[in-house]
Amino acid sequence: MSCDRRPGTPRALSARFAVSLLTVMLLAAAAAAQQESTWARQPAATAPIHNEVLIKGGTLLTVTHGRIENGSIYIKDGKIVAIGQNVTAPPSATVIDASGKYVMPGIIDAHSHMALDDDVNEATSPITPSMHMLDAFQYTDKALYRALAGGVTTALLLHGSANMIGGQDVVIKLKYGLGRDQMLFPNAPISIKFASGENPKRVYGGRGQLPSTRMGNFEVQRQAFEDARDYMHKWDEYNAKVAKGDKDAMPPHKDLKLEALADILRGRFLVQIHCYRADEFLTELAIAQEFGYKIRAFHHAVEIYKVADKIAAANVGIATWADWWGFKVEAYDAIPWNAVMSMRKGVRVAIKSDSDDYTRRLNQEAGKTMRYGGATEEEALKMITLNPAWIIGVDDRVGSLDVGKDADITIWSGYPLSSYGLVDKAIIDGDVWFDRSLPGLGLTHYKEGQ
Amino acid sequence: MKNRVIESSGHRVIVLATLLSLLLSAPLASGQKPKRSAAAASPEQAIVLRGGKLLTITHGVIEDGVLVMENGKITAVGKSGTVAIPKGARVIEVQGMTIYPGLIDSETNLGLTEISAVQSSNDLIEMSDEIMPHMHVYDAFHAESSLIPVTRVNGVTNAIVAPESQDTLPGQDSFIQLAGRDRDQMLLLRDLALPMNFTGAQRRNRSFESAKYPFTRMGMATQLRQSFFDAQEYGHKLADYQKKLAEWQKEKKGAEPMEPKRDLKLEALLPYLAGSKPVVLSAEESNDLQTAVDLAHEFNLRIVLNHLTHAQSILDYIAALKVPVIVGPIYEFPHDDQRYDAVYRLPAELAQRGVKIAFASYDSHNARNLPYAAGYAVAWGLPYDEALKALTLNPAEIWGVSDQLGSLDVGKMANVVVANGDPLDVRTDVKMVFIQGRETSMRTRQTDLRDQYMGK
Repeated sequence: MSCDRRPGTPRALSARFAVSLLTVMLLAAAAAAQQESTWARQPAATAPIHNEVLIKGGTLLTVTHGRIENGSIYIKDGKIVAIGQNVTAPPSATVIDASGKYVMPGIIDAHSHMALDDDVNEATSPITPSMHMLDAFQYTDKALYRALAGGVTTALLLHGSANMIGGQDVVIKLKYGLGRDQMLFPNAPISIKFASGENPKRVYGGRGQLPSTRMGNFEVQRQAFEDARDYMHKWDEYNAKVAKGDKDAMPPHKDLKLEALADILRGRFLVQIHCYRADEFLTELAIAQEFGYKIRAFHHAVEIYKVADKIAAANVGIATWADWWGFKVEAYDAIPWNAVMSMRKGVRVAIKSDSDDYTRRLNQEAGKTMRYGGATEEEALKMITLNPAWIIGVDDRVGSLDVGKDADITIWSGYPLSSYGLVDKAIIDGDVWFDRSLPGLGLTHYKEGQ
Repeated sequence: MKNRVIESSGHRVIVLATLLSLLLSAPLASGQKPKRSAAAASPEQAIVLRGGKLLTITHGVIEDGVLVMENGKITAVGKSGTVAIPKGARVIEVQGMTIYPGLIDSETNLGLTEISAVQSSNDLIEMSDEIMPHMHVYDAFHAESSLIPVTRVNGVTNAIVAPESQDTLPGQDSFIQLAGRDRDQMLLLRDLALPMNFTGAQRRNRSFESAKYPFTRMGMATQLRQSFFDAQEYGHKLADYQKKLAEWQKEKKGAEPMEPKRDLKLEALLPYLAGSKPVVLSAEESNDLQTAVDLAHEFNLRIVLNHLTHAQSILDYIAALKVPVIVGPIYEFPHDDQRYDAVYRLPAELAQRGVKIAFASYDSHNARNLPYAAGYAVAWGLPYDEALKALTLNPAEIWGVSDQLGSLDVGKMANVVVANGDPLDVRTDVKMVFIQGRETSMRTRQTDLRDQYMGK
């Protein structure tokens, strides 16, 4: 039975891991010293793509401005330059015939643990905010290929849910066949994964450690932020002394864990919280308010329908399943109407996978929201495109067919929000990465045995 | 999809009362094929579904059709105007709706679990030994499980309940009806099939330090073979005793022959060795399948194949076996060196070779999504009619209930679903489910929660 990630077997720190931690530490220190407001710790964009493509004659599902029948999209240098019924392109542009097909933005999965081997959970302490999922990113994992073939072009790869504060997540574009750094979403904000409820208390309680209850869970979290405040205070004092010209001032100990916690309080991360129960959403909101950070989204979020007005008022998104339920006690009240009931109350809803299986057919999962509660086509589409893009913090770049956005586009045979849609082509940054009509794996940038 | 089910007469209360009295008075025979209910005190009010699109399975699609249900059976099916409406019938107008036989899930764990992570709610498998054919899922089947209505309201009316698969012989399956007052009504067939799992996952304690037999596939096969020999020997002993007893009874001379000590485990294997019931053989890899099929042939077992996830290289061999295949959810991952659609295409590949296929969810909480796997298989080349059959008539034939279930035909049990569209599409909403001609409740634990919080 599939369910949210159970903690895997922790591995010993490898030399490579230690080295990369050191690198990150230096980067973090530099960033902190400059008091930058940017989150960008991921490597910058790969070389710009120079190409011209015309996707011609399909039913365009734009997500933001309805359907365009017999529409075309002109793409230049990886961006959407024009979209509509009367779009032309220079003869030099590569033409992709989409007549009789559906064209929609690439699917965005806001909750995935694919391509992380069994390194999903650093389940040795309930507070591990300085873990970087990038250090575990197994970019050759074929799960990425299978997701791409299902239309996923962007995904957030998260730390697991063993820890109250897990680790820093990685945003990728599914350019399967490229190297690790070329698959990273350029300049995407960094998300950090929190958890709550049954998993942390089971993992640590099972060892006779704190936390073994929800009381313990939240107290561990509060204590971590108290420690971070204290740490920030010490650095503030030191910096003040230095500013006054005190040459003998001793810098406080640099602590990666506290540094990362301080960065949460400084608002440098998008906070993504694994959370099931209505009471726990409210507790998490209260703790966030107490310590002055924002929650970007609740993940799993199966009981949001019970308190949706409060979640909407806090401008917190949710990333949930279409219809999973009953795999544990805190998922027993999950109902398939959750997504649409919450949306109607103003909550920004994403349908996500948390599964290497379901990530391959999120289109069908979104289709279920049309049945359970009556989402419109545009609302259902948003749940797997623009809304997860917002949760990840890249909605200005991807998630809809709009001029200026990255040309991350999927072309389908059959209606995508049904049982019958199949991805013909997956395009990322204006370049075709998957093509169903090709023999072999259908990949364009991958050689067998690579 | 603005179509609605419209009632033309308000006999609901009466119907419910009749229904209850029937439920109380007519338990279904268990341990045999589903039979007509014992005679009810008074005949049930006939129910007529008028104006819908009937997917009959056996004789095509009837647009603007009429279906009549009386006393638990389908009594008429045809084009509007050609079918007589019984007097006093409750007529339900179903224009714009699609009517089809209740879907059959060929492997679930329904009734064996409530909350997966709560061990005390699970009775999924007895792991203390690998050879457990004397485990009967009906001994654990929890008729009141909240999962059963959740599955039923999506149009699944019947299912195989099987134990989980970590034993080579984990116990015998039951065939259930997803409605009924208690387990006796819901368990239509008990011990109708024996799963035999040969995927490698049945090996024990995968480290040398804690190795336990069977540690390898050789061990698994040897253990199975020994078990079947033991059962054969036990069968001979029993037959010998019966023979001697019969002789003794003629003349009553000398001591009465001693009845051999009853061995529940070996006894459980006898009907399968006699070929009177099917063994459901699960394998994923080609080599495992061939090993297990050889074993089955050695003992003349009647087999139904299951899973076959990675057996794409021997599809012609599979077709030549001339046995049905449970294709299951097509969502199992292909091997890393395979194309991403290798498993999605499996139902189409098998059907194309003339193999009779049936779908299974292999699930419990998500068993309601069974029809969508069939829909996706259609996208991957399975003809639509074959997909529908693989959810209805094919499983009914495989499980020996096609005289009662699997199509909209006169004389069959009235397990009938009314939906607002294509049953295989994720967007389709099921509106009504009839089981044995009775309208079942569309209320579930989940709709209760929805209604409790809707508008709050």
